[in-house]
Amino acid sequence: MLLLAAIAVLAAVPWFGSDVLIQFGINALLLAVLAQGWNVIGGYAGYASFGNSVFYGLGSYGVAIAMAQWQLPFGGGLLFGAALAAVFAVLIGIPVLRLRGHYFAIATLALAQVMAAIVSNVKLAGRNVGLVLPPLNNDPLFYELSLLLLVLATLTVYWLTRSRFGFGLIAIRENEEGAAVMGVNTTLYKTVAFAISGVFSALAGGIHAYWVTFIDPESAFDIGLNVKMIIMAVFGGPGTVFGPVVGALSLSALSELLSSEITSLAGLFFGVVVVVAVVVMPRGLADVLRRFRCMGWRYFAENIRSHQL
Amino acid sequence: MTAMLEISHVTRRFEGLVAVDDVSFMLLRGEILGLIGPNGAGKSTLVSLISGTLAPSSGDILFEGRSIVRLPAYRRARLGIGRTFQIMRPFPGLSVLDNVAVGALFGRGGGQVQMSKAREQARAQLDFVGLAKNIDQRADELGGPGRKRLELAKALAMKPKVLLCDEVMAGLNQVEIEDVIEVIRKVRNEGVSVLVIEHVIKAIRSLSDRLLVLNHGVKIAEGDPGRVLSNQTVVEAYLGKRRA
Amino acid sequence: MDLLAQVLVNGMLLGGLYAVMALGLALVWGVLNIVNLAHGAFIMLGGYLSWYLYTYAGIDPFLGLPLTAVVMFAVGYGVQRGLLNLIVRAPMFNTLLVTFGIEVVLTYLAQLAFSADFRTINPSYVGDSIALGTVVLPVSRLLAFGIAILLTVSMWLFLLRTRLGRAIRATAQNLVAARLYGVEPRHLYAMTFGIGIALAGAAGGLYGTVSQINPYIGAALTAKSFAISIIGGLDNPLGVIVGGLFLGILESLTALYIGSTFSDVASFGVLVLVLIVRPTGLLGKAA
Repeated sequence: MLLLAAIAVLAAVPWFGSDVLIQFGINALLLAVLAQGWNVIGGYAGYASFGNSVFYGLGSYGVAIAMAQWQLPFGGGLLFGAALAAVFAVLIGIPVLRLRGHYFAIATLALAQVMAAIVSNVKLAGRNVGLVLPPLNNDPLFYELSLLLLVLATLTVYWLTRSRFGFGLIAIRENEEGAAVMGVNTTLYKTVAFAISGVFSALAGGIHAYWVTFIDPESAFDIGLNVKMIIMAVFGGPGTVFGPVVGALSLSALSELLSSEITSLAGLFFGVVVVVAVVVMPRGLADVLRRFRCMGWRYFAENIRSHQL
Repeated sequence: MTAMLEISHVTRRFEGLVAVDDVSFMLLRGEILGLIGPNGAGKSTLVSLISGTLAPSSGDILFEGRSIVRLPAYRRARLGIGRTFQIMRPFPGLSVLDNVAVGALFGRGGGQVQMSKAREQARAQLDFVGLAKNIDQRADELGGPGRKRLELAKALAMKPKVLLCDEVMAGLNQVEIEDVIEVIRKVRNEGVSVLVIEHVIKAIRSLSDRLLVLNHGVKIAEGDPGRVLSNQTVVEAYLGKRRA
Repeated sequence: MDLLAQVLVNGMLLGGLYAVMALGLALVWGVLNIVNLAHGAFIMLGGYLSWYLYTYAGIDPFLGLPLTAVVMFAVGYGVQRGLLNLIVRAPMFNTLLVTFGIEVVLTYLAQLAFSADFRTINPSYVGDSIALGTVVLPVSRLLAFGIAILLTVSMWLFLLRTRLGRAIRATAQNLVAARLYGVEPRHLYAMTFGIGIALAGAAGGLYGTVSQINPYIGAALTAKSFAISIIGGLDNPLGVIVGGLFLGILESLTALYIGSTFSDVASFGVLVLVLIVRPTGLLGKAA
C-alpha cells in the first residue's frame, strides 16, 4: 500500500513540480532503470557487467535510426532498439558469459570502450556526426514514460525473486558449478538474464534519445553510465528488489545537490561514493538497514575487519 | 541386475598427471557401491567425471545404457544423476530451505515449475535427513555435520536415480556416522542406486553391497567388501594411512 | 613493401611501449590477484608528473623517469596500504568496484587540477629520427622502446631472482606461510602495488613523449593494458612483451590496411577471442 502511494506521488510530480525538478526526475528515473537492469545480471546472476552502456547506446540508436532515418513512430523505434539489444546480448553473451567473474567484467569494459568507435563508422547511424530526432517538447510525458519503465523493471525483478528462473540465477551467483550439477542450464539462464538487462537499458536509452532529440556516438555510449548504474545498484543493495531504485534516486539527489556548486564535482562524488561504500558497506544500503539496528556503528568496522588483509 | 551407470575405460589427465587411469566398473540398480582409496587416488575426480563437471580424456560413461559423456552437467542432473560435494559449498546467501528447493526446482526431468511445490518437496527432504529444525537458517550458518546433511538433502531433492556421495562422513563422530548410514540405507530403499566414497572404512564396510578400491587413479580391487578389504594389494595401499 | 616495413617497425616500437604500460597491471594482477581498473589513470598521472618535471624543472623526461617512478611508488604504496589492503579478502567484485571508483576520482581530480587540455612532452630531440635503410626510427619512440624492454626484463629478473621478488611471490601464494616466515604481508602487498604503480607512472612518462596526455586517457589505457596482459598471459612476466608487440603490430597493420578508427576494434576483438579460446594467453600454460 505504501508502495502504491509512493508511485502515485512520483507520478504526480509533473503536476506540482518545477521544470527543473521534472528534468531531474527523468534523469534519475532512467538511471534507476539502468541500475535495475544491471541488478538482473550483476545483482542476481552475479555477473558484474561493466559495459551495459552498450545496450543503452543501442537503444538510443535504435530509436534514432527508426525515427530519423526510417520515419517510424516512437513505439516502433523502442521495439527496434530493444530487439537490437536482445540480439546483441545473445551474440556477445554466449562467448563472454563463459568467462569467470573478473574476466567477464574486463571483456564488457573493453566492449564498452569500443562501441562508440564502431558505431561512428556506420553510415546509417550518422557516423561521427550523429542523428537528430523529430522534436517533442513534452517533458511530463517523458517523465511518466520513464516512471512506467522503472515500474516495469522493478516488477520484473520482483518476479525474479519468486520464480524458478530467478532462483536459478541466484544459484548461479552463489555457486555456479553447484547450480549446474543440480540441473540449472547455466548458459541459457545467464544469457537470458543478460538480454533482460540489455533490453531495459536499451529502452531507457531510447526514451532518453527521443527526449534530448540528438545523439552521437560519444553521448549515446557514455561510459560514465556504467559507473553510475553499478554504484547505484550496489549502494542501494544488489540482489534486492528496491535497492537499485533507492540507490539511484538517493545518489542522484545527492549528486544534484553537490554539483550545483561545481559541475565536475558530480563525477568526483560518484567515484568517492563507490570507494567508500564498497569498503564500509559492500552489501548495500539494504543490508545496512537490516543490520544497523543490532550492530550500530560496529557494522561498518566489522565489514572492514572481515575483508582486510 | 541392470547397470545404472557404466564407467568404461575412463582416463583423465591433468597436465602430465594421470588422475584416473583406465578405470572401468558398473553401478548396478539398487545397490550401494562403496569407493575407497588413499588420498589422491582419484575418487573425487571420478565423481566429477560422472556428474559432468569434468570431461574424460578418453573413455565412455553410460547411464541406463546410453552414453552421457558428451552431455553437460545440467543435462545429466535432469537425467537423474545427483551428487554431494566433498568440500561443501552451499548457496550461502540462501536459507537452508531454499538451498534444497533449488534441487527440487531443477532436478530430474527438469524439476518443479512452481516455487511452492518445490519448497514443499524441500521440506520433505530436510525432514528425511533430519534438518527439519533448521529450515529457516542461512545456509552458511550451519555447522559441519549440518552442512553434510544439507548436501544430501539438496541432492535428494533432485529425485535422482543415481546418487554420488562424496565423503559425507568425513569429520563426523560415531553417532553422526550411524545417522548418515541410516539415511543412505533409506535412500537406497527408495530405489536410488548409490555410489559412496569414503575414508571411514568401518562404516563403508557395513554399508556397501560391493566395494571398489582406487589407488593412484587405478582400480586395484572390486567385489565383496570382506574379501576386498583383506586383499593384500589393498592393505598395502593403505599401510601407514589412517584407518577408522 | 617499404611502407609495410615501416608500419611493422612502428608497430614494434609501439609494442614496446605497450609492454611497459601493461607491466604494472600484470604484476599486481598476477601476483596479488588485484584487478586494478584504475591502472590507466595512474599512467595518466605519471604522464602529468613527467610533464610538470619537464616543463617547470627542465628535467628530461627519459632521465627523469626514475624520479617519476619513485613518486608514483609512494602513491601506490599509500593507496594499497591505506585503501586496498582493506578489501583484499573481499570478493573480487569489490576490488573491481573500488579500483573503478579510484579511476573516476583520479580522472576528475586531474580534470580539476590540470584542465582538459592536451599536453605533450617535447624535448628538443623529439623530432629527430634515425634512418635504418628505408625505415625511419623516431628517436623518442626508440628510446621508449628500449626503456620498456629494459624495465620488463628487469622486472622479470627481479621477481624470479631476488629475495624480495621471491618474497612477494611467496606472499601472494600463501599468506599464512608468509607470516610464519616473519614477512609482514601488509607491507609486502603495499610494496608490490607500489612497484606496479611506479611502472605505470614510468609508462606514463614514456607515453607523454609519443602521444598526448589529457585527464581522460585513463580508461582507454586500462582497457588496452588488460588486452595486452591477457593476450600475453599472466603466468609468465615476459608475457607483456609478447602481448605488447602483438597488439602494437596488429594496431599498426589495422590502421594501414583498414583504417585507424578500427585499431581499437581490432584490439578488442582479439582480446575477446583470446579470452574465449585461450584465456591463459599466448605464453600461458594451456588451460
